[in-house]
Amino acid sequence: MLEIKNLTKVYPDGTRALKNVSFTVEDGDFLVVIGLSGSGKSTLLRCINRLIEPTEGQILLDGQDIIKADNQELRLIRRRIGMIFQHFNLVDRSSVLTNVLSGKLGYITPWASILHKFPSKVRNEALAALNKVGIADQANKRADELSGGQRQRVGIARALMQNPSMILADEPVASLDPVLAHTILGYLEDLNKETQISVLCSLHYLDLVQRYATKVIGLKDGVLVYQGDREDIREMTDEQFKEIYGEEAKRVSAGTLSGEVRE
Amino acid sequence: MSPERYKEKKPSLVTAPVAALLSFFVPGLGQIMARRVQRGLLMLGAMVTIIGLFIWRVNLLGRRVDGFWPTLSKALERNTFFISFTILAIVALWVWIVYDAVKQTRKGKQYGNAIFALILLVFFGIGWQISEIDIVKLTSDANEAWLPLSKILWPWDAAVTRSTESLEAGAEVLVDSEGPAPPKPERVEGEPYVWVEPREGELSRLDDDNNIIPGTEITVYGEGFAPETRTEIWWSDAIGNEFQPRYQGRYVSTVTDEEGNFEMTMNMPYRLVPPSARGQQIHKVIGRQVSEVGPLLPSDPLVLTIELIIETIFMGMMATLFGIVFSVPVSFLAARNLMSSSWITLLIYYITRTILNIVRAIEPLIWALIAVVWVGLGPFAGIVALTIHSIAALGKLYSESIESINPGPIEAIQATGATKLQTIMFAVVPQMIPPFVSFTIYRWDINVRMSTVIGMVGGGGIGFLLVQYIRLLEYKSAGIAVWFIALTVAILDYVSAEIRQRFV
Ligand SMILES: Nc1ncnc2c1ncn2[C@@H]1O[C@H](COP(=O)(O)OP(=O)(O)O)[C@@H](O)[C@H]1O
Ligand SMILES: [Mg+2]
Repeated sequence: MLEIKNLTKVYPDGTRALKNVSFTVEDGDFLVVIGLSGSGKSTLLRCINRLIEPTEGQILLDGQDIIKADNQELRLIRRRIGMIFQHFNLVDRSSVLTNVLSGKLGYITPWASILHKFPSKVRNEALAALNKVGIADQANKRADELSGGQRQRVGIARALMQNPSMILADEPVASLDPVLAHTILGYLEDLNKETQISVLCSLHYLDLVQRYATKVIGLKDGVLVYQGDREDIREMTDEQFKEIYGEEAKRVSAGTLSGEVRE
Repeated sequence: MSPERYKEKKPSLVTAPVAALLSFFVPGLGQIMARRVQRGLLMLGAMVTIIGLFIWRVNLLGRRVDGFWPTLSKALERNTFFISFTILAIVALWVWIVYDAVKQTRKGKQYGNAIFALILLVFFGIGWQISEIDIVKLTSDANEAWLPLSKILWPWDAAVTRSTESLEAGAEVLVDSEGPAPPKPERVEGEPYVWVEPREGELSRLDDDNNIIPGTEITVYGEGFAPETRTEIWWSDAIGNEFQPRYQGRYVSTVTDEEGNFEMTMNMPYRLVPPSARGQQIHKVIGRQVSEVGPLLPSDPLVLTIELIIETIFMGMMATLFGIVFSVPVSFLAARNLMSSSWITLLIYYITRTILNIVRAIEPLIWALIAVVWVGLGPFAGIVALTIHSIAALGKLYSESIESINPGPIEAIQATGATKLQTIMFAVVPQMIPPFVSFTIYRWDINVRMSTVIGMVGGGGIGFLLVQYIRLLEYKSAGIAVWFIALTVAILDYVSAEIRQRFV
């Protein structure tokens, strides 16, 4: 369980990106963060694994305050939290396999991994992870040879290597086309349902939110302005969505795509 | 200037006739008063520069003549086209500027940048004359250039030699002096034999009009030489200095018959005899057959060239190595993203950047001149010069590739719980390798190229040899050096392209 209490982030230049944000994520939740660009979604997600240092507040993961963790503890916490990114953040010039293996770095003795040496057990695990996202045959390609959808799957495989209890996904489908968006979110949903991994995901499109979220929070200028569960979302109208989103709100397309579409 | 600024252009300060008058006396002033300050200043500057340059060239062309008109007419005589073109162009520009001033007093944006094309044309015309471009020379002197050029283009017969062996015999003669003639030489069994009749006489002399008065005619007999072989006749004076006499510009020589004998007549050659020479003057006539023996051997120029090419390549390599060693730490100081955390580091960043830019702006050849003073002639001076320039060039390139590193993967690896070191090895290093390899190879390429010429200023390597050969007019040897330089650079080009392709 992840409890966020009164989280505030002020950037060095004075930008208040998060203002007193509090909410709770139960194990097994698929929590979607919505909000305009610049509303603080990325900041929020990055505060949870402290890629960005929060300014104030508490982030309790199963009771342990992440903000108070020292370096060693922080690395142990981070390796339990997988993260996937809008721009995939793969190391382009490394192979797909190496990218996936790097998800295991938190578990490996630093000196061995520096020479890119991984135990064969870990290699097999990486291949299994690639298999799970359906691109085992691409293992030896360079990451930049892959298409966008494939690259995001590598990102998921990398997160899987961490055996995470939670996955943070910062606009994971914003640079993919709608079909691929459903594929990627489908993988996350499967993980979420099968293994009770909780997912925190920021999304842009109302129909994706309605299709995948079990909980939604809305941010506006760093303030938590909406909190709802599955039922609330189903009943949410475009007008309500627009209130949070302003004019940017849009649906993927006029209902031609069902959630079942896979590549 | 952005279009909006034109739209908001305030009305002209002067009327059209006034603007024209102003521009007539000071080209561009009318435009300035019509609130087209940039345009006016540009025209004024251009006119002042053009007229200044023109006066300078006229004075140069009409040198040693006093007064304005005589100078101008002499210059006109010497370079009619240039002078008349420039005068016409200046007049045309002047009129055009006056007309433009009138136009600029009107409202709204006034086009008409063709005038700047004419200004540019005048500048190029003056530039053509200043840089003494002489296209005729390209063809008129081509014949003279062809001989050395052909030697440079195909120098390979000078790349090999054989050792030579000579078969020779001589006979003494008494010249220009009283005394008994030397005896006919003794015949030695199994060796070539030469004798001369008569065994005394007078050398050729020059009369007061420098016409040659032929010396005594002598007959030279030879026996026991190689049959049917060219035999050179050499002359050795009283103090043993040998020279090859000429007859009508050609060296005197003969060819032996099938038994290895010869008989030929010649006049005693001209030889300046030192006035102090007294008493009996015994000279010697020598018959000599030179034959090449043994295997083909690389000639001295070839060996030297190969040695110096090796030196050159290693100079380039060492300079690159030292360049890398020093530029890597420097590049961290010159990377903005690493140095923007506080004003002190930012200051260091600016200082480093400035120094790098200055050092890079100075050509390696100039650094070599400095280095020669510093560490003396030789390859080390070249290495120092190239290293200095490499540090600056690589420092800039490396720091730019540090700046352009993608933070995404770093963030992603950090998020997995990796340590700092792991993050560097997995997210930073893979991003750094391609630019690093690429820039380093590129620099190595440049350094080897540069070290082929850096010798010209004393920095070691093949350049020094090349300059020397050209100064000594040894075009074939120079040709060998040129060929090797070209080959080295071509191979290097290929290799560096290959390596870069592999890594990037
Ligand atoms: N490193 C930073 N320094 C200063 N301000 C930042 C930084 N990163 C983000 N911000 C600001 O914080 C606010 C929230 O940004 P972000 O979390 O990226 O929003 P979102 O992901 O919802 O688009 C924005 O106003 C943004 O300009
Ligand atoms: Mg964002």
